[in-house]
Amino acid sequence: MKDREIDDILQQVAGAQPEPDSVLLEGISSAIGSNLQPAGSLPPSWMLALGLFLICGTVALAGGLFFGLYGVRKMTAAEVGLIFPVLGILIWFAAALCVAEAIPGSRRPVTPWLLGVSGCVGLATVFGWLFHDYGTARFVSQGVKCLTAGLGLALPAAVAMWLVLRRGFSVNPGVAGFAKGTLAGLAGVTMLELHCVNFEVPHLLVWHIAVLPISGAIGMWVATIVKSRGQR
Amino acid sequence: MAAQGGAGRWLGRLEVCPTICFGTLFLLMDSDIDLQSLMARYKNGDATAATALVNRLSPQLHRFFLMQFVSRRHADDLLQETWLRIHEVRHTYRAGQPVLPWLYAIARNIRVDHYRKAHRAESREEQLEESFDAAVPAERSGGAPDVEALLAALPESQREVIVMLKVSGMSLSEVALATSSTVGSIKQKAHRAYESLRKGLAGGGPNTGKVVFHER
Repeated sequence: MKDREIDDILQQVAGAQPEPDSVLLEGISSAIGSNLQPAGSLPPSWMLALGLFLICGTVALAGGLFFGLYGVRKMTAAEVGLIFPVLGILIWFAAALCVAEAIPGSRRPVTPWLLGVSGCVGLATVFGWLFHDYGTARFVSQGVKCLTAGLGLALPAAVAMWLVLRRGFSVNPGVAGFAKGTLAGLAGVTMLELHCVNFEVPHLLVWHIAVLPISGAIGMWVATIVKSRGQR
Repeated sequence: MAAQGGAGRWLGRLEVCPTICFGTLFLLMDSDIDLQSLMARYKNGDATAATALVNRLSPQLHRFFLMQFVSRRHADDLLQETWLRIHEVRHTYRAGQPVLPWLYAIARNIRVDHYRKAHRAESREEQLEESFDAAVPAERSGGAPDVEALLAALPESQREVIVMLKVSGMSLSEVALATSSTVGSIKQKAHRAYESLRKGLAGGGPNTGKVVFHER
């Protein structure tokens, strides 16, 4: 059987479906037509993405200033010139993705899962390439501090992002939550790079990068909870 | 650049609907531009544009729900819910963008919510097994292939793609946008769905070619 014959059969099946009742359509029209007010458009996508980018940068810098910019002062120019541009690119993609997730039928620059994985792999590659101290002194105690500080900073970033995107509508709340969580996590990682003076590779690979997936997972969990409460 | 994107979109539509001639193609282009202007007027508070949109888009949305095997009553409910949601989030529509991906992304969201609610209710009543066993058999007793049963047997994601492409007349890129997917993935799903339908229709016994429809 040819594709065209299947097309015809599908058209016949579709044609056999009953039309919606005219009374129903009138009811819908009158429901949405009564007190219809002009609805202000959202700002352009690039503007929203830029807003999210600036929020992330500002929150990370504020956190760095609060805790002290010891890490970035200890880094060489090459380290600064590689780590922060990579973080900037990741933040831009994550911001564009968050905006796309807030507007139904938008083109996504990258899938959220790919962003999460590429963020972790990209940062791990950069850290592994730039730093060569494989010591594990106070691995857990220092690591937990960094993880807590990174996740703690992700929280105000996430709240500010929610304010920017509050008028959007996500058709996949869990996925959108993951994207927002990842973006907030990137703000946390940026602050850690500004502040943390521990350049041991295991510390960076485990505790700094862990902020990203954990923050993404928290964002997804919160979005799912909010969605399920809204449905009850 | 925008013109190139638009042409690509319409060529994409031509690719999946080989029977469409160029005259129809330009009608479709006009139709989408018309929808865009209606959406713009609706966003600006024009009640006649809202009514025109409801009258024009409701039949295809209703068909979209019915072909996902919900009952007529549920399809009516879903249609109402979809329009109410569209009304709430109409500010998220971007002027100049195609209307259908935006609209179907919202309709899908409503349908998925409905499916989850129904699934939860079924779980509570412990009637899951009965409801799944109630799936329509793939062949009628007369040997004619039952198209609706074949459609019902398709994975939900494939069926949805087929309905959007072939029943709603959307292009590959529009379906990709509506489903937050890629054009490659949509092509693959459509191909697999057609393979399954072809097998099912070919295995229809002596009455192949005579198809059975259900009245709802």
